[in-house]
Amino acid sequence: MERVIGIDELQPGERRSVFVDDIPALVIRIESAYFVIEDVCSHDGQALTDGPLQDCSIICPRHSARFDLKTGKALCMPATEPIRVFKVEIRDGAVWAAMP
Amino acid sequence: MLSVPVQFQGPNQNMPTATLDTRRIGFDSASFEAFLKTRQEAAWMTNARRSAFELYQGLLQEDLNPEEFKRVDLRVFNAGKFRPDAGEADQTTMATLLSDKTEYGGHITHVNGQVTHFDAVDALKAQGVLFGDLPTLLASHRELLEPYFMKQAVRPASDRFSAWHAAFWTGGTLLYVPRNVEVALPLHSLIAHSRDGVADFSHTLIILDDGARATLLEETTSATEEIAGLHVGCVELIVGRNANLRYVQLQNWNQKSWHFAHQAGVVASNASLQWTVVGLGSRLAHIHQDIILNGRAATAEVNGVTFASDRQKISYYTLQHHKAQGTHSDLLYKEVLRDEARVIWRGMIKVDPAAQQTDGYQRSDALMLSDEARCDSIPGLEIEADDVRCTHGATTGRVDQEQIFYCMSRGISRKEAMHMIVEGFFQKVYDRIPVEVVRETLSRTVQSKLGIEAVTV
Repeated sequence: MERVIGIDELQPGERRSVFVDDIPALVIRIESAYFVIEDVCSHDGQALTDGPLQDCSIICPRHSARFDLKTGKALCMPATEPIRVFKVEIRDGAVWAAMP
Repeated sequence: MLSVPVQFQGPNQNMPTATLDTRRIGFDSASFEAFLKTRQEAAWMTNARRSAFELYQGLLQEDLNPEEFKRVDLRVFNAGKFRPDAGEADQTTMATLLSDKTEYGGHITHVNGQVTHFDAVDALKAQGVLFGDLPTLLASHRELLEPYFMKQAVRPASDRFSAWHAAFWTGGTLLYVPRNVEVALPLHSLIAHSRDGVADFSHTLIILDDGARATLLEETTSATEEIAGLHVGCVELIVGRNANLRYVQLQNWNQKSWHFAHQAGVVASNASLQWTVVGLGSRLAHIHQDIILNGRAATAEVNGVTFASDRQKISYYTLQHHKAQGTHSDLLYKEVLRDEARVIWRGMIKVDPAAQQTDGYQRSDALMLSDEARCDSIPGLEIEADDVRCTHGATTGRVDQEQIFYCMSRGISRKEAMHMIVEGFFQKVYDRIPVEVVRETLSRTVQSKLGIEAVTV
């Protein structure tokens, strides 16, 4: 697994762009939970980086496709395919991620 | 089930964005000065580099054209890992796909941006043809060549990559064919990387004077699968009146290489350009290809063959620019994608008001061999004349399972069936490639990309 960020570096509701296995990814903290997703919308293939968060999902800033942060599932149109969600572990005060 | 309160954050709230860090996307002035110290060049060349570098510094601060780059994900790219090679030239012989497959009129090899091999038949010199190392010939034939070099086809100001190239160009191939001279045998140019972390800025400049004819086959390769390389290249094809140029570029880097290229062909009246672009290798490739039909009845035929696998990303941005009456362009790209590969093709036919009776065609077909592959094909037309014929189209589809079943019911294995379908898919574009050795080489390479043992010819 790769260390992506220290747990104290993100406040609840914040996010950071990282790379996991050379794939652009986004680590997002919601309350005390951390999620690491591939930072690419499955609809138009561009970044989700600045997309608004809603419940436990992220909304694509261009066409408003919504993806579940836990499963990657597309929750609304125009996306129909899921996004990649990385395996996450919290240890040694840091967030670690790996390919699913 | 994780319970979280509703949070809604709009964009740009002190969050990192996808905007690139300039230290990751380009070279700074310290590396430029260090690079200049390695060059022994005439003042006019150094001055041209300095002006280009100034331009480049400005362009680094600007975003890339979103129409061209918004689908090309450069976030993982880190220019800081690459530097132009300043060491001794690597004389190792490189394995190539084309060099020994037919009879050539000459060969030139560039390894890590330096010339390591050159040979040419005596007839070329007798005909007045200039073929060889670009910096050497540019210095010795300044009056003839300077008006062409980065002035007519690709200009430093086009974008960040062309300015980067103009400041740091390391070497390259020059072919100049005088008026009404025909170079009968094809010429071969090889661009190779053999050291990890090398940045190579090779330039190809081909000038055909009026009525001249020539063929140049160019290929790129990496010495091993492990080394990471960066190629920021430039190809300029200048075809004079009634001339005919056949140019093939076969991009076959390893999958750790980055390939950015500005390529432009300028075709004068009654001249024809047959241009084949092959994309097989690289981790990420972006090619900006302009075809500029400058003279009455100029013709260009553009062929594209792409086979992307694993996590390769290959992107093309093509422009067929009709600037004169009665011009004809015909572009056909075929792409096969497997695994998690991604191909982007954004094509445009632009017709100026003066370019009446233009006939423009563009088409891109993609065949997907897996669920995870992705292809974005976006054809476009921008027509300002009212008496033209312009057609375009793009298709993307999966392999028809019924075709596979049909083949297997006749005793053909799934792998062989897949190979037949892929070969059949590419056949239409193979038929348009005017050089037999290229067609044969592509067929063998496609087999190996499909995981089928290549047949020795």
